[in-house]
Amino acid sequence: MRMNAFQSLGKRMAARAIASGLAVLLFSTHGSTQEAVNESAIAIVVHKDTQVQNLSLNELRSIFLADQQFWPDRTRIILLVRAPQSDERTFVLSSIYQMDEAQFRQYWIAKMFRAEVPRGPKIVFSTDMTLELVLAIPGSISFMRANEVTDQVRVVSVDGKLPNDAGYPLK
Amino acid sequence: MPIIARAGQSIGCFLYVLATQAAFAQHSMNPAGTDLSEPEFTVMGFGDISYISRDGSSQDGFAIGQAVAHLSASLGHSFGVFGEFSLTARDTEYVAEVERFIVKYAFSDLLKLSAGRYHTPIGYWNSTFHHGAWLQTTTSRPEMVRFGSQIVPIHFVGGLVEGNIPGETLGLAYMAGFGNGRHSNIARAGDAGDVNGDNAWMFQLHTSPARYRGLKAGIGYYKDVVSPTAEPEVDEKTASAYVAWAKEAPEIIIEYLHSTHELASDSSVSGDVDAWYAQFAWRLSGKYRQWKPYARYERNRIDDSDPLLGDLGLDYDGGILGVRWDFNPYAALKGEYRNEEFDNNGRENNFRLQVSFVLAKL
Repeated sequence: MRMNAFQSLGKRMAARAIASGLAVLLFSTHGSTQEAVNESAIAIVVHKDTQVQNLSLNELRSIFLADQQFWPDRTRIILLVRAPQSDERTFVLSSIYQMDEAQFRQYWIAKMFRAEVPRGPKIVFSTDMTLELVLAIPGSISFMRANEVTDQVRVVSVDGKLPNDAGYPLK
Repeated sequence: MPIIARAGQSIGCFLYVLATQAAFAQHSMNPAGTDLSEPEFTVMGFGDISYISRDGSSQDGFAIGQAVAHLSASLGHSFGVFGEFSLTARDTEYVAEVERFIVKYAFSDLLKLSAGRYHTPIGYWNSTFHHGAWLQTTTSRPEMVRFGSQIVPIHFVGGLVEGNIPGETLGLAYMAGFGNGRHSNIARAGDAGDVNGDNAWMFQLHTSPARYRGLKAGIGYYKDVVSPTAEPEVDEKTASAYVAWAKEAPEIIIEYLHSTHELASDSSVSGDVDAWYAQFAWRLSGKYRQWKPYARYERNRIDDSDPLLGDLGLDYDGGILGVRWDFNPYAALKGEYRNEEFDNNGRENNFRLQVSFVLAKL
């Protein structure tokens, strides 16, 4: 049973998370994940102080799999992942992790079990929550639809391409 | 260390876990915000219950497997503590054990230092699956790395340095350790110090190429001087190699180990150990995705002249066929047929049914 002090962010954020989560659940009943994501590519966002402009898809996989746990400046990488049922999560599990939900769960339990990571990824429940936490946590990295990115966070290119570029790998 | 003292020590650790959780409960009442330098705790549990039927056995029946508790604590960005504690059913009692207890400081991906009690990083299985039957495909570990094995020193007490070697193509990583070797009871680690002052050391190098995600291959070396109870000292050298394809369709694990044991006082008295297994599994697709058939063959051979293991009757041949059904996201039912031969004493059949589970939440 994982008990995470990080999840105690106060009533305001919890209420927004629940509302957004419900919105995602409602939205997810319409069309496939791919259709939903096609409306906007998935952007990889990091805390503004993170000194990284570009990641290769392999580096991104290493970070999301926690094989790489530090940025080049030795800041600890904090991975934020959307809760189940969101289209963004389903897309990232398929395209970056190349796993389904069951494999994803087993992967992280095994990783913690081998003492390779002290904790699993931090779960976020909405785009608003993602933005607030990436803004607040140095070293954090997460993902969201490109058309929902604000200037609170920084988008990193993947294989040298930004979400609006042709050939961007997370579309 | 006497069993009672060991059990007392382990129970103390269980109490420590409970106390820590109580502290956490109090701590979590106050919103912690996003300050990740504050302690953060993760608790997991594993357990399994089996039904075992053997040829000609009068003791067929249910067996409670291990009840395992894991605690990991992140104390700031770089420092963490990990503990694994088990309760194992025996004929007349439950035995409590501190399986792993590790403190780790991570300087970077290249350099992580840790100290404590580990599962010895020899080969693949011993440092991948540990306790917790739910994580492994089969009902039990291969015989060469079964808990209590004398072929491989399952536990190691000491320090480790590990890290990733830069370069994303090959995905190279290393691990080097130095610490107490086997206890005079050679199935146990030297928990209270090295019994002969001649420390054990080991090195392991493995690769996980980015191009073939799921593939892991490695080699390792382990060296110790062992002082068995009432026996002369023996030099132990073990080399291991493995290749594993961890994706589930297929899942392939092949591991080989070769040990040389040589009397420290007379190098002409020596013997070799060859042990290996190959496991193959395939996760079905579509509506049968919860099912995973599997098979494993394993073989251990120990020279009769081996001064450490030669007279312990550890030769083994075994084949298993089974199927795993993940009927729940956190639980699995496994049915397994085994045909085995221990110490060349004739083959025997047995059947196992096991339900295993994990108590965890991501």
